[in-house]
Parts: sequence; structure tokens; C-alpha cells
Amino acid sequence: MNLLPTEEQQQIVDMVRGFLAGNAPLERLRPDKFGQIGNPDAALWPKMAELGILGLGVPEDGGGLGLSAVEETLTYIEFGRALVSIGVLGATLGAHLAARDAPDVAAAIMGGSTAVGLATPRGAVEHSDGRFSGEFHLIEADEAEFVLLLTSEAIALFRNEDFTDRSARLSMDSHMRLMRARLDDGKALGWSSVTEGVDHARANLLIAAYATGLAEAALAGAVDYAKVREQFGKPIGSFQAIKHKCADMAIAAEVASCQVSFASVILAKDSEESRFHALAARIVAVDAALKNGATGIQVHGAIGFTAEVEAHLFVKRAHLIDFIGGDQRVQKAQFIGADAVM
Amino acid sequence: MNLDYTAEDELFRAEAREWLDANVPREVRPPDGPGMRDFDLGWQRKQFEGGWAGVSWPVEYGGRGLSLTHQLIWYEEYAKAGGPNAELLFVGCNHAAPTIMARGSDEQKSYHLPRILSGEVAWCQGFSEPNNGSDLGGLKCRAEIVGDELVVNGSKIWTSSAHLADWQELLVRTDPAAPKHKGISWVICDMQTPGIELRPILIMTAPGHHHFNQVFYTDVRISLSNVVGEVNDGWKVAMSTLGFERGTAGMLENIRYGAVVERLVDMARQRLGTSALENDDIGQRLAQLRAEVTAVRAMTYRIASRAAIAPPGSEASLARAFFSQLQQRIRRIALDIIGPDSIELPDDDPWIRPYLRTYSNTIAAGTSEIQRNIIGERVLGLPR
Repeated sequence: MNLLPTEEQQQIVDMVRGFLAGNAPLERLRPDKFGQIGNPDAALWPKMAELGILGLGVPEDGGGLGLSAVEETLTYIEFGRALVSIGVLGATLGAHLAARDAPDVAAAIMGGSTAVGLATPRGAVEHSDGRFSGEFHLIEADEAEFVLLLTSEAIALFRNEDFTDRSARLSMDSHMRLMRARLDDGKALGWSSVTEGVDHARANLLIAAYATGLAEAALAGAVDYAKVREQFGKPIGSFQAIKHKCADMAIAAEVASCQVSFASVILAKDSEESRFHALAARIVAVDAALKNGATGIQVHGAIGFTAEVEAHLFVKRAHLIDFIGGDQRVQKAQFIGADAVM
Repeated sequence: MNLDYTAEDELFRAEAREWLDANVPREVRPPDGPGMRDFDLGWQRKQFEGGWAGVSWPVEYGGRGLSLTHQLIWYEEYAKAGGPNAELLFVGCNHAAPTIMARGSDEQKSYHLPRILSGEVAWCQGFSEPNNGSDLGGLKCRAEIVGDELVVNGSKIWTSSAHLADWQELLVRTDPAAPKHKGISWVICDMQTPGIELRPILIMTAPGHHHFNQVFYTDVRISLSNVVGEVNDGWKVAMSTLGFERGTAGMLENIRYGAVVERLVDMARQRLGTSALENDDIGQRLAQLRAEVTAVRAMTYRIASRAAIAPPGSEASLARAFFSQLQQRIRRIALDIIGPDSIELPDDDPWIRPYLRTYSNTIAAGTSEIQRNIIGERVLGLPR
């Protein structure tokens, strides 16, 4: 038993962190002088594909690197830290689904030549045997060829054109492109239900890992600022009112990180406990992301309310990921209904 | 990362399970008094005789010299088997013994460690004072060196089970002129020494059990050979104990709480119905608690993984601060599930007294506020 990364796993973390530091620094998300905010991350996919990151956890016979959910999870913590476009989730999960039923699609996704958007329900979803109907939000789907749908009951891959009645919306998280659309008895290219295999659990786990990285980055930003910002003649981090807020952020991030690691090891074994532990991870990690995002703004004071520092980005992204496949209320209702895992 | 156990680990687990099934006491643990002392020491003796008392203790002190992973396996099986919460043993096994192992003389080790492990003696703690709680380093209980003895005068407070203990780990000020953290000594005090008087303090679970005491020392003479570590180096000696308490010593309690939450889930399902629970406020909160207590187990595993490399440091405060408040929220929700009858205090009550007891969790062994100072300053590097 060991819940710390191995040397090889740490090398993967360092590689991804190094790549993102060079290619996706948080400053890229500062608005230009017109306040216009595009999405700068589409250019990342081919580069990440070159490094093998997009197919990291896909089995080798499916065209991926064949690493486990543990390594995949570690990379997602880094994606969260850098606030990489959550379109990446569509690519990873879409590649896993397609690798079984549509290898050419999987190859295109892992090669970075085609993007995968995300779909998440706006209300009730009707679903039987791989056919889905309902109203959805599409995230980062504008130039995508495929769309990955996550509901609390299933995970499914579609062609983008399967979604109709599209209308663009501005997102609260303004770096993410958003639209409304619907499916009418849309047939998935590949799908699986929450009760079979680990596809659905993997989605919750990777969302949890992303949320963990986000919570850690929000903490780091708040701590850095509390060390240098002075009031009453000393750094504000010396005041318990601020210090204890930072401590609470550190606790939340640690709780999330531990459960995410634990769940990743369980999932890597294809264990039946994967659903339980991934849900637990999602609940504590999204909680940490929401709390740390909000607290980070308060620690910054007025500057935290502006678009000139990164603090606001964390809370907005946290709200967005909360809703992917069902928000905390939905996840908790699922979790309290699940059988105990002791 | 892995959660794999070796064949040898699994064998150890099977043996532990078998022994616990056969030996965990089935009678109810007396809540206080000599009956509780007999129960706890008797249970410790039984574990010792079975070879389970000191799983990760070094062989030279009577333990089995096994890894922290083995200790964790033992705790998991102990919790599953419903092993008793033998609180009287905590200070001896988890405080005094690790401190004596780390800093004690050969004589201190060979006298005290076997007696603690075999359940012959109970220990209590003498750290807090009426005017020094969180500011422990400012303690004033005075010990003058006279010949080869210390002469102690002063008072200690919040001493759990002082009236049932044979020994005390006592912090005294041996150099009042030195800076406050430099003039303290860590002393082994025999509770039968003339000059020691106790005053019981009722706690908030009253009416009920005698738990706390104030301890008064009037010209209490203790041999200098009972000082652990160097005279005036007691602060550092004490800190090694606290690091331990904030790290690995809490593992059993962490694991035990998973079962408490599952009992609450069962109770809530019975009272509210499984499907109603999903969208009820209680169900939502209980799901949050279930997720968090699941994460506590993961935190425990990570602490054990780190402890295999280095002794627990300040980062242990993360788990400690989190868990103490989580325990309070877990015990609190029991009242909401029980409903109006929760204002009753039955004799065989499994929920209300434990709920009231959790108010001490964020105070004892360093308040939540002190834990947050430690996290802020020593983990995050914020200025003092």
C-alpha cells in the first residue's frame, strides 16, 4: 500500500506541468484591452497529442499509451491547475469510448486532429439503449467533430451534428464557449451506463481530479498574495483572519487530493468499488473547488473582484464543472443511494 | 500508487481478524471509575498476551516490529470487529511510550515501556494549566532542582482520568529565567507521590461521568532520573509527542468513524425511506459526510505512506483539523435523524453523549485555531 506517486508517475506529472507552464500559463486567460475573451486552448490539442497526453489512459490495443487511471488522474490535476479548457475531458472520455467501438474516431481524437465538445443536461433526459433525448448545454463544441454527453446515468459519444436547435449563449465562465441544443432520439456512437464498467466512474474521477488541481491553484494564488500584500504595516497573511482562511483552503485541497488518489487506484483495478469512490472524490473535490475559488477572491480583496488577477477564474470554472453530468445535489442524491463500501 | 497488500500482509490480516473475532470483549465497557480501568487494562493485557498490543512497536520493547501498514491493517480489522474504544490507554500507548522510545534513557525504557504495553499501568497527561491552554509554552508549574530531585509546585488542568492513572507525563518549568520555550522539562510523575491532590471537574455530558480533573502539586518530590530528555529541553520532547498525536495516533479513530456514518445512513433510510432520503436535506448532508469520511480513510492511507518515509510533521495538522470538525458534523446529524426524541438522554444512549463529547474534539490536543496557525505558518509558509 502506498498512496504517493512513484518516481515514474512523478516524471509524468513533471512533464505535463512543464508543458503547461510553457504553453498554457494562467496569464493567457487575462482579457485583452477590449475585454474580449476567446478560447486560446484549441491550439493545445495537437501538441498534447504529440506528447501522448490525450490517449494516456487508453489501452495500447486501442491506440493509447496504456497507462492507468492513476497516471490519467495525475495529469488531470495538472489540467485543473492550469485551467486547461474542459474540452480536454471530451477528448479523454471520448477516446476511451471510441477505442472500443470506433477505432478510427479514437485515433483522430488522440491524434489531436479533431476536438470533442461536452454535453450536459439542462433538465430531464430520456434514454433507452443508447438513444437519448433532451435539452443540453454544449461546451467547447463550436469546432468539434464529436460531442461527449455525460448524465448522472450514462456516458455517450455523439457526432456534433446529432444535436439540433442550436443557439449560442455567453458563458459565466467566459473562456468556455457555450450553446444550447437538443437531441431527439439521438443514437450514440458508443455509450455505457453508470451501472456497467468504469467509463462513467472515470468521468467523475477526472472531473474530481480537475477540481482538485483547480482548488490547489486557487490556494496557491491566495497564499502568494497573502505573503506580499501589506496592510497595517505587515503582510495580510500574518493575520489569523486571513491565515485561517488559507488553512481551510489547504485542508479542502488535501482532502480532495487524497480521495482522488485513492479512487484512482481503485478505478485502475476495474474494481466494483470504482463508482462509490469516484463519486466520493467528485463530491469532496468539487466542494473544494467551489470553496477555494470563492475564498481566494475574498483573500485578494478588491483586486480579486477584478479581471486583472486570476482569482475570479477559479470560481467560475468550478461552477461550470459542478454542472457537468449533474451538480452536487444530483451527485449527492446518487451517492446516498449507493451501497456502502467498507 | 497502489493499494495492494502482499500475501504476508493478507495472512496478517486474516490472523488479526480471527483473533479479534474470538477475543473482542462482548460486555459493555463501564463509562468511568475503577470498572472502566479494569476493563481497559484487562483488554490491553489480553491484546498483549495475544501478541497484538504493539504491532508497530520495536521488538526490543515487546512489540512485533512490523510496519505502519500492518498497524493500519490491525486498526481496520479492530474497527470492523467493533473493538472497544479503550480511551484510558491512549496517553500511555500513544503519547508517553513514543516519547520515551524517542528520548528516554535506557532505564526509563526498560522500566516503563513493558508495563505500558502489557496493560499493567495507566497514564495521564499533565500539560495544560489554568492559565496556559493554547499558549502551552508559557506554562508556569514550577519545579526547583534540589539535590537530585525536582520539587514541583503548581497546578495542571483538564487531566483526563488523573484519578485512575498510575503515571503522568508532566511538563514543568525548571528555568524561569530562560525564554519561555527553553526552560521546560518533561517529567515522569508517579501519581501516588505525596503532595498530589485532585479536584474532579464535571464535563458537559454531566450528569454522568467523572472524566476531567484539576491536579495540584505541593512540594511534590520527583527524582531527576525521571526527566525524559535533558532538563530544560522538555518543549522539544513534548513536540515530538504532539506530532505523533496529530499524525498516526488518530488512525484508529479515523477508521472507526466510517462505520458510524454507515449506521447513520441505515438509521436515516429506516426513518425516512431510501428514495425520500435522496432529495431530503438530511440525505444531502449525509451524502456529504459519507464522502468526507471516505476521504478521511484516504488521508489516513496517505499519512501512513508518508510516515514510511519520515515522521509525521506539520502537514499532519491538515487531517487532524479536518477530522475533528467532521466528527462534530457527523455526530450532529444524528440529532436531526432521531428528531424530537433527541432531547432525551437515555441510559443506554449511543448518540447524544457522543455528540456532546465531540465539542472537545476541536479543543483538545491543540484547538482548531492552533491547528490552523500551524497549517498557515508551517505548511503554507505564511508569516507569523
